[in-house]
Amino acid sequence: MKSAFFFTDIYWVFWREIKKFTQQRARILMLVIQPLVWLVLMGNSMSGLTRNPMAAKMLGTGNYLTFMTPGIMIMTALFGGVFGGTSIMWDRRLGFLNKMLAAPIHRAAIPLGKLLSIGLQTIMQALIIACISLLLGVRFITGIPGVIFLLLIAGLFGMIMASISLALAANLKSIESLMAISNFLTMPLMLTSNAMFPISAMPSWLKVIANVNPLSYAVSAMRTIATNGWYFNQIWLPVVMLITIALITISVSIKMFYRSIS
Amino acid sequence: MSNIIESEGLTKVFPGGLVAVNEVSFAVQRGEIFGFLGPNGAGKSTTIAMLTTLIRPTKGTARVAGIDILKQPYQVRLMLGYVSQDLAVEDALTGFENLKLQAGFYHIPKIEAMRRIAEVLEMVDLTDRAKDKVETYSGGMRKRLDIACGLIHRPQLLFLDEPTLGLDIQTRREIWKYINHLRKEIKMTIFVTTHYMDEADSLCDRIAIIDKGIIKILDIPAALKSSLGKEIVEFRFANGSEEERKLAISQLCRLDFITNVNFTEEKGYMASVTNGESSVPAIFEALRDFSAKIGSISFKQPSLDDVFLHCTGHEMREEKADRETAFKSRMIMRRTRR
Repeated sequence: MKSAFFFTDIYWVFWREIKKFTQQRARILMLVIQPLVWLVLMGNSMSGLTRNPMAAKMLGTGNYLTFMTPGIMIMTALFGGVFGGTSIMWDRRLGFLNKMLAAPIHRAAIPLGKLLSIGLQTIMQALIIACISLLLGVRFITGIPGVIFLLLIAGLFGMIMASISLALAANLKSIESLMAISNFLTMPLMLTSNAMFPISAMPSWLKVIANVNPLSYAVSAMRTIATNGWYFNQIWLPVVMLITIALITISVSIKMFYRSIS
Repeated sequence: MSNIIESEGLTKVFPGGLVAVNEVSFAVQRGEIFGFLGPNGAGKSTTIAMLTTLIRPTKGTARVAGIDILKQPYQVRLMLGYVSQDLAVEDALTGFENLKLQAGFYHIPKIEAMRRIAEVLEMVDLTDRAKDKVETYSGGMRKRLDIACGLIHRPQLLFLDEPTLGLDIQTRREIWKYINHLRKEIKMTIFVTTHYMDEADSLCDRIAIIDKGIIKILDIPAALKSSLGKEIVEFRFANGSEEERKLAISQLCRLDFITNVNFTEEKGYMASVTNGESSVPAIFEALRDFSAKIGSISFKQPSLDDVFLHCTGHEMREEKADRETAFKSRMIMRRTRR
């Protein structure tokens, strides 16, 4: 009888998060402005790079923006997801967590609803980035289905980061320490991946790291779809890896959440 | 069955060895307002957390409406409403949306939910403000909304943890009015914790005084007060050494209208007396030949404060709290004070 309402429980936790999110006008505005700044600034300053035929070959495209768009999407997913755990810590601090726990809702629905809301938020952000990049002249070779693929991968990656953050949140006492750890995680993850620079241009020690960085899986699959086409032989491995990582991190975050409330 | 809560040896030992609640056994009758009175850190909230299945007892168990909290926590949750001291309403949402969310958590079908939301809004007089965001509400309105959230699934039993914490006296009275209304109109059983003596006194049918995780006494307020004798005389000595004072006190204890004498730093000596105001001159008379002279003396009716002092040997006092708890209580204060 408990599981009969499992999905409605997830829905209501999700509903609350989305409702809260849509109330934050400044935050939504920044979601549009931030990628715009990144794309325009970075895109412009780096566009000289592609005039060099060697660099263009490494980037795999004659347009740096096209190269960069998947990277920006993943970066946004990273930043959006990595602070996902703070929401549960605020709930604990403000007593809303106890309010939910005193209600007959399935325990797992609380982290899952939050994760799904972050997944959806990431997808919306990635969609905004896709629209802006289209305006800036980026063309996705696989069209709308390709864009949908990019959005889904970004959403999945956002959920991976959020579940790591949730697992951390379950083990930490203060929001401040979670913020510090999250901040510490983001830049190294970002800079040791192929989000901004092609792996082929990296020194060999960095190549090793970049090749195992989950960020790189997501970006390379997205970049293949965005610039080359549906090369399933190139994308199946990163996609399977990402889904596996997601399943593991989500189960760990639920387990940690259970441990933190018992 | 007349008992809605039956607690048997409920015990909670936190990691680190702190015994928050120690072998607490009591019964709450259906339809009464039952008060848990004690200072912060006495184990009130921990007891509620166990009864509402938020934390597992280390030892012992309880039945809520006949259902064991350990064996069927899910059924227990369906049965009870819980309004924490945290004022856990969602600022970014409207009052209506907060209730809609709560109805969702309790699996109330949509059409029925709309009816119930209107009903509980009416009950706490928030119908007019339902479409406004909670961040525009005053502290008292938030509390009322929070109570309304606890009522949406029509629980048989409502837990109110420090319902008036941080509110001003006027708003506190207003909240009492709503609580009394619930009991009278809906015949709901209410379990309330508080560290305000006057609140416990005027609101509760029965009171349990809890201190350091142990129930010291449990009775109706009037009986608690009369258990101290009818009245109290408070006095301090003007002079005299420790020895001389002790001698004077032992003389007083021999008088037949004095049942006992307590001493605290804050209030000085307190004698429970049975012969009303005439005990004041009688005390002077009795101490005429002693070298320790009385400097100040006053006569008063016993309050629950005195009962508390009598049972625990100390005044109601805030216990030490950790950083996060302190932060939490500051947040509550901030949210209520607007």
